Amino acid sequence: MKRHNIAPRPGWQDFANSVGFTFHTIDNEPYWDESAYYQFSLQQIEQDLETPTEELHQMALDLVPDILADEQLLQQLAIPKPFWDYIAASWRSGEPHLYGRMDFSYNGTGPAKLLELNYDTPTSLFETGFFQWVWLEDQLMRGQLPQGADQFNSLQDKLEQAFAQLPLAQPFYFSSVTESIEDKGTVDYLMDIALQAGLNCRYIQLEQLGDIEGQLVDMDGFPINGLFKLYPWEFMLQEDFASTILTSKTQWLEPCWKLLLSNKGILPLLWQKHQGHPNLLPAFFADKQPVEAGWVKKPLFSREGANIELVTANGQRLTEDGPYTDSGYIRQALAPLPQFGDNYTLIGSWVVGDSAAGICIREDNSLITKDSSRFLPHIILD
Amino acid sequence: MKVRPSKRSQKAALIFMLPATGLALNGCAEKQVEAQVFSTPDECAAFYNPPEQCQAAFAEAAQLHPKVAPRYANKQECEADFGPGQCETAPEQHQQGSFFMPMMMGFMAGQMLNRGGLTPGAGQAANQQTVAATGRNPVPTQPLYKSRDDRNTFRTATNTAVASQPGSTTIRPSAVQPKPAALARRGGFGAQAAQRSVNRSYGG
Repeated sequence: MKRHNIAPRPGWQDFANSVGFTFHTIDNEPYWDESAYYQFSLQQIEQDLETPTEELHQMALDLVPDILADEQLLQQLAIPKPFWDYIAASWRSGEPHLYGRMDFSYNGTGPAKLLELNYDTPTSLFETGFFQWVWLEDQLMRGQLPQGADQFNSLQDKLEQAFAQLPLAQPFYFSSVTESIEDKGTVDYLMDIALQAGLNCRYIQLEQLGDIEGQLVDMDGFPINGLFKLYPWEFMLQEDFASTILTSKTQWLEPCWKLLLSNKGILPLLWQKHQGHPNLLPAFFADKQPVEAGWVKKPLFSREGANIELVTANGQRLTEDGPYTDSGYIRQALAPLPQFGDNYTLIGSWVVGDSAAGICIREDNSLITKDSSRFLPHIILD
Repeated sequence: MKVRPSKRSQKAALIFMLPATGLALNGCAEKQVEAQVFSTPDECAAFYNPPEQCQAAFAEAAQLHPKVAPRYANKQECEADFGPGQCETAPEQHQQGSFFMPMMMGFMAGQMLNRGGLTPGAGQAANQQTVAATGRNPVPTQPLYKSRDDRNTFRTATNTAVASQPGSTTIRPSAVQPKPAALARRGGFGAQAAQRSVNRSYGG
């Protein structure tokens, strides 16, 4: 695993804008950053990332029935009691899931360490599946990368297969929060792929979803029988339409049981069941005790690095503010992100259905990866 | 030389995100289809349709009527659109009393009728073949209404004019899809996003 500088493609911003990737630069700071790329060997990709991703995914799925059978665990994960039966039913009836992403701390040697699962609303999908892919093809064509360079990125192929094969209601609706251009970009990309797979898709703003006698409906009052929502389940279960979820005949992507796996509480549970697994970090449910050196504290529900607190081995304390202060916490042994120059590098590893489907790389100037962290492309070359 | 399978997608194409092409979103020309319009089941049967199918189509439309008819807060407003004596109470109540809706003045039959005798020389068997070959008619059977100033024209609950006389007519199916008249509650999701004003994305 190496970091190489490379000249950005001239005019890439215009191309990005033309395909709706308008958030490539945010507040004059680069988000998409192609001034450098990472190189992996095939062995690093297959042995250290792809295989562990699929193994950890299975270990996570295997925890779902354990959690559903144990009221204490459901309470520990802060799952609201009125939804326990609903979540259990969504798991037992085999409601299909589409995708997820796990984040790793990995420096090219030794086992990748699982930091967390983003199994409900993972983003940076378009950047990974499309824009990174096009970057590789362009740079190969321009002779800027060695011939034979590949990329671990079967995301779009696998999503298209999933949309073609999953038993989904039609028309299938896609929804995101109106004000978020970035989330709309992710949802547009998913709809584009679904369309290519032959699905009849429609978009509706999340705030515009309607309820008629307990059934979720679209703008014309037609029932919504299938909905992809880029919005956290733990939010939905607290909002006015929470009760609609229980009565509406709607197939959800992600299904409600994914709430259990996107919860940081899954990390201590994985550790309890597979203590010493090379890809897992020691993790425990935390109470109010202060964070010790060499540990990270994370809320059960948080996203984009918000409300994370960590203390490095030599006692340096880092905190990230955020809006997720109303749930419990876990603590996890710190596996500091590797440093390449001034950059701390995180690897996101995608799962579609139950298969590993590629990686994305985020860089930050600090040990905590945030939504502002830069996205860098990668290649595979031995 | 051994060729390794690639670790990346065979293609990463976009269809509708590309502004120049817009293939998928260009409306395809919608085919007009045939439907039949009648005031009563008897009138339907007089057009050489099987009486029991006419009765069934009428019953289906009548059942849909209270669900899709346009709603008015009082009788005066309803009669202003549909004429004196042409309105009835709707199932829902509001604080000041009942909602009102126009009376059903006819029905449109989509897939039910086998149109015996309408086409000169067409026998029963030939007609059934036609129905079998064309499959499901995309026009839903539904109630029809007549406005105060245009008593000849049959209109759907959403005010699409479909015919000015009983019998066969041709229409675009998308123009005559019945919609629930009940008002949906909206805005039940998204409150947490507004409260927390999370940075740029609600994903992660």
